[in-house]
Amino acid sequence: MSKKYEFTRIIKEHEGVIFKITTIYTNNQEDQKDLYQEIVYQLWKAFDSFRGDAKISTWMYRVALNTAITRLKKEKRRGNQIGIDKVIMQQTEQYDTEFEERLKILYAHIKGLNELEKGLMLLLLEGKKYEEIAVITGLSPSNVGTRISRIKQKLKTQIIKN
Amino acid sequence: MELEEMQTVWSELSGQLEKQKKLTDKMIIMMTQEKYRSQLNRIAYPEMIGTVICYGAGLFILININRLDNWYTMLSGITTLIVLFVLPVLSLRSINKMRKVNIAANNYKETLLEYAKSKKQFKNGMKWGYYLGFVLMFTIMPVTTKLINNKDFFEGTKSVWPFFISIPLAIVFFIVFSKWVFKNYSKSMNSAESLIKDLEATD
Repeated sequence: MSKKYEFTRIIKEHEGVIFKITTIYTNNQEDQKDLYQEIVYQLWKAFDSFRGDAKISTWMYRVALNTAITRLKKEKRRGNQIGIDKVIMQQTEQYDTEFEERLKILYAHIKGLNELEKGLMLLLLEGKKYEEIAVITGLSPSNVGTRISRIKQKLKTQIIKN
Repeated sequence: MELEEMQTVWSELSGQLEKQKKLTDKMIIMMTQEKYRSQLNRIAYPEMIGTVICYGAGLFILININRLDNWYTMLSGITTLIVLFVLPVLSLRSINKMRKVNIAANNYKETLLEYAKSKKQFKNGMKWGYYLGFVLMFTIMPVTTKLINNKDFFEGTKSVWPFFISIPLAIVFFIVFSKWVFKNYSKSMNSAESLIKDLEATD
């Protein structure tokens, strides 16, 4: 199996994951598209270094989240920020208005978190176990648990405020 | 929205995205190529253009330095030269640091730490760039007047009144603007510092 073939198969399999990461870390469609391309590019560059001793999804989340963070540095320097509702409208074609509204609230909650919490929240929503989140983030599983409890608390406070 | 509800919405979104896969092999291969990284390479352009301008101006002064024939134009010339060479180093250093992040090998915590540290460094660079820019505003005037018009900036001025008006105005502008700059500066330095502290405290 050729390297290119294997790579495109993996990207196609995880394209939704990359999309969700780009939505959380950007505020407009143009930046989202750029970040998507950058993540695929960085994954390709790192593909040879992936030795299969970790799960492909773990490796992928790590590279994608790292790319999003380094991109954030550049993003802030450019100071080009647009509201999130412009992005949500263009995500998928089929969902209803009620779902869109709930999605909007969800994004607003996530974007209210700091960068570390944002990453943890994303992985939690993706259904990752504390151990896998620990491998991706470099925190210990117990620390992941503590921080997730804090995030839950923070979310509750946000609800009360709203 | 409670966490459970967030998880429901998220899995519904994941399901919808799963149904409408859009990427083709060709699109993926295109994304792996350097030339398709549209916006990213343009980010450092303002810094690069700035560097060329600073070094160009610095070179011009350096070549003509013997034409600065009295102590105050010479002092202004040397100060201007130092500022013109230091300014680009400040901004390029932080860009280089960003490029050095090992995306494939680092974990999220390490990348975030580097992010917070380079943010601090960048903000510090901005602060010094601002001070140096202010110095440059004054030192470059006698130098350019001499090198471009071959006139002594101070001797050629018949009245001192323009100085009495422009210097206090520049100082007022500097104070007002620095208040605004440092308000933004301390807010973002504090957030970077608390992130570093938080990450370094964890195992």
